[in-house]
Amino acid sequence: MKFLCVECNEAMGLDETLGPDQGSMTVIFGCPACGRRTAMLTNASETQVVRSLGVKIGGRGASAEPMEGIRNGLAAASSIGASAPASHGGASKCPFTGMVNEAFERSGMPWTEGAIQRMENIPASARRMVMQSVERYAEAEGYAEVTESALNQARRSMGM
Amino acid sequence: MKTWRDIATDGGSDVAGQVAEQADRLAERLRGVRHIVAVMSGKGGVGKSTVTVNLAAALIRAGGRVGIVDGDINGPSLARMTGARAPASSSPAEGTAAAPETIWGARVMSMAFFLRDETTPVAWDAPSQSGGAAWRGLREAAALRELISDVEWGELDMLLVDLPPGSDRFPTLADVAPRIDAVVAVTIPSAVSLEVVGRSVRLIQEHFDAPSMGLVENMASRACPHCGEEDPLYPVGRTEPLANALGVPVLARIPFDPALGAAADRGQSYIREYPDRPAARAFAELADRLQLLLEVP
Repeated sequence: MKFLCVECNEAMGLDETLGPDQGSMTVIFGCPACGRRTAMLTNASETQVVRSLGVKIGGRGASAEPMEGIRNGLAAASSIGASAPASHGGASKCPFTGMVNEAFERSGMPWTEGAIQRMENIPASARRMVMQSVERYAEAEGYAEVTESALNQARRSMGM
Repeated sequence: MKTWRDIATDGGSDVAGQVAEQADRLAERLRGVRHIVAVMSGKGGVGKSTVTVNLAAALIRAGGRVGIVDGDINGPSLARMTGARAPASSSPAEGTAAAPETIWGARVMSMAFFLRDETTPVAWDAPSQSGGAAWRGLREAAALRELISDVEWGELDMLLVDLPPGSDRFPTLADVAPRIDAVVAVTIPSAVSLEVVGRSVRLIQEHFDAPSMGLVENMASRACPHCGEEDPLYPVGRTEPLANALGVPVLARIPFDPALGAAADRGQSYIREYPDRPAARAFAELADRLQLLLEVP
């Protein structure tokens, strides 16, 4: 939305914002040529639309806080307040996770050179998991080794 | 007299710049996420959240690093189903919030973590909750964007976004996510569900940059807990024709198991508790086939 001073034919600039107060924002624009000021008053729905966009009328001074829209946007009766979700990091704390994961790992089915080459574009971090999925598919389809033909058949089975 | 196009700026707010910055932030924060996968269905009650949670567990058991976003803003359920809990208070990491982690290793973000307790509904700060037809959808979309983007996901192989029912949900996700690499469409083999899910899949195929897609037939049968024999719950052979008509694969057929619901109620992992049951094996197959869909060049 932009404002034009009709008398001066000049774009008006934003002078200040007030509110929201009882669901309404006051946004004041001024003409740089004649100094005329005009205020845009939003109704509750219009205020909500602006808040939904996650933008600040008047411009942002600082970067948005994480979950700012949710934290500030929830009614007080709903919100947990200023607290944030749990701060966790790294791997699971469960001592059995690694054991369970290991139990699911497969001893490698043989791969042909060509089939291995087709896996090379997959990042190393994900490659092992993908190759295990391929091996399970190939085994179910009766392959004794993973070949390019097996990979092609897997792709076809996915409609690719 | 000057028109809108003649005036370069909006007077000082730079709303367009702020929106562009949001998009940049979203893309940057998801840089370490290898694949974003939407789990959706036009139909409610078909088990999307159950599929999401157990697919995540199966991927983790296969060695994957997985995050889950509860896309149901008004009816968040994944906090309970996964057992992930937010503490009473904590400090957010710089620019992001840390996602609670399940004991089986999935990071979870849900609207539930911001609500007072399990009985608190989502009510937005407004003079009145009525008359919100014009803005409530926008607020929900903005909340979904934050649940995805304002989280310290770290390096993930897959971020699963569990969408609520409704064919309009995927378009909302497409608006707020920088990319969607695959869609898992969940159905049950009832004619009603297949019809609605078929419409939802076609909407995506016809109006969006089509990501990889596959169907999951949930509640396909009931497996006897004693002998393992499966009895169909619906007339058989209905899902395959829909998949063929849509040109998408059936990724898995998940048998009904009452233990799935019981594990979800307790926030426990069904797959860890019952790894040898038919449904657990079906979820492992789903994880495998989703990877084939996404990764095999």
